[in-house]
Amino acid sequence: MFSVKMALQSILREKWINFLTMATLGVLLFIFFAILLVLYNVERLTSKIPSKLSSLVVLKDDASKEEIAAVESEAKRSKLVKTVDFISKEAAMEDLKKVFKSDDFILKGFGENPLFNSFEIKFKSDEDVKTSDIKALISKLKTHRAVDDVEFGQAQMESLSALKHGVRTIGVTLSTTFACAVVFISYTTVKILFYRRKEEIEIYKLLGATRGFIRLPFFLEGAIVGFCGGLSGAVMLQVLNKITLSKLTAEIPLFAVVNIPFTVFLLFPVIGLMLGLGGAVLAVGRVRY
Amino acid sequence: MIVLDKASKYYDAQAALKNVSFSIKKGELAFVTGPSGAGKTTLFKLLYLAETPDDGTITIAGFNTSNLKEATIPFLRRNIGVVFQDFKLLNNKTVFDNIALTLRIRGIMERETKERVHSVLKLVNLRHKSDKYPATLSGGEQQRITLARAIVGEPTVMLADEPTGNLDAENEDNIMKIFKYINNKGTTILIATHNRSLFTNTGKRVFYLDEGTLAKEEIA
Ligand SMILES: Nc1ncnc2c1ncn2[C@@H]1O[C@H](COP(=O)(O)OP(=O)(O)O)[C@@H](O)[C@H]1O
Ligand SMILES: [Mg+2]
Repeated sequence: MFSVKMALQSILREKWINFLTMATLGVLLFIFFAILLVLYNVERLTSKIPSKLSSLVVLKDDASKEEIAAVESEAKRSKLVKTVDFISKEAAMEDLKKVFKSDDFILKGFGENPLFNSFEIKFKSDEDVKTSDIKALISKLKTHRAVDDVEFGQAQMESLSALKHGVRTIGVTLSTTFACAVVFISYTTVKILFYRRKEEIEIYKLLGATRGFIRLPFFLEGAIVGFCGGLSGAVMLQVLNKITLSKLTAEIPLFAVVNIPFTVFLLFPVIGLMLGLGGAVLAVGRVRY
Repeated sequence: MIVLDKASKYYDAQAALKNVSFSIKKGELAFVTGPSGAGKTTLFKLLYLAETPDDGTITIAGFNTSNLKEATIPFLRRNIGVVFQDFKLLNNKTVFDNIALTLRIRGIMERETKERVHSVLKLVNLRHKSDKYPATLSGGEQQRITLARAIVGEPTVMLADEPTGNLDAENEDNIMKIFKYINNKGTTILIATHNRSLFTNTGKRVFYLDEGTLAKEEIA
């Protein structure tokens, strides 16, 4: 209890250095959180895209039933595939008729059905569904005699995954840098406070203070400063979110998909606390007698 | 209670303490004397483990200091009350808080702390200075605060380094009365002083240090 009191006293006594640290940590953590949110949103949006990806396997007109069944079972065996639907050329025609509705005389003009039998393959949306695997499956399907061609939005998928990869690399690098900066600033502040009280600490030791007793106030101080920094960073982010995002959404509807889960605002001060505490632990180090 | 066996301490090849052996029984009150620079403070530093001996062994309050784990040192120090020659008071804390620190460090409740601090303040006759800061007090008053801080923890061993260095004769008498009082309650006390009048005709043992060696031991 006395330790808690000492930590609070120290924060009040050294209010300027602590306030500056909190403000700096607030700004750093704000950027850190913003990066995390960008990462989160990119992950969230792109992880849904593979499920929207589907591929159309066009079958030859003269393919036998067995040959078609072989294609279907090959596709179904793959771990990447969610569903395989057979679309007969008659069904395709029905769909087309629905599109043209009353103008179906256009279609009648063809006489014989010009469409083809096909399979529509929908892929799973798992993280581990990779473009390269899908490509491999498709080239395997192409070797079947029954298969005429396979249509697949390969180029888009590749550039999307490259973008995702790039954002992830930059995001992880930046957020690691900022997390280190937060730890470093907490470290420096606690180190300064520790050295300022060096004489006092020596006396504490001579009077029989344990390591824990000496270190706890500094740990608490790092944790409290980190927590407050995290809290202010989260508040800044929320304010920015409210002001900017609503305007942006009005201008560019794409931003409507940006999502900031509220629980994150509870998590941020905790992240700040952990980083601040980490810096303090490093700063105090081993107390020697 | 205190046993030194051929204890030596060197500062850069210069011996501050050389081959010193003596032992002090539980409940004894004894003196260490000698000219300035004789090694009295160094001897005390070895006893409360601010320094480690370069040679020999030291046993105090049941702890052998040569094979002590670092984590045990605080608990050894809680058994030893030290009156430091340079006081070591905290100038950003009041007299009350300086003394209370000894107890707060041990996790003693505030109510008990308050009672005990007030009772030692009364003992050293500084109750009215409880809320003052050490720097605003005289050397003699600061010395008595240091004594009060050493007493409040109810140590089994008390080490007093020049406890009357800043006191006039009347205060000196009062301080010695306090030492006798706590000694009578069972505390083992070792007092370092260059002031012969403190021990003459007390009938207590006196250890004479000279240039780091134990020159003689006699009963005053
Ligand atoms: N930290 C130190 N570094 C180097 N020499 C020291 C140190 N402390 C004491 N000494 C030397 O050790 C000798 C004994 O000092 P000290 O124990 O303080 O004597 P006393 O307390 O009897 O006056 C002196 O010569 C002093 O200069
Ligand atoms: Mg001395």
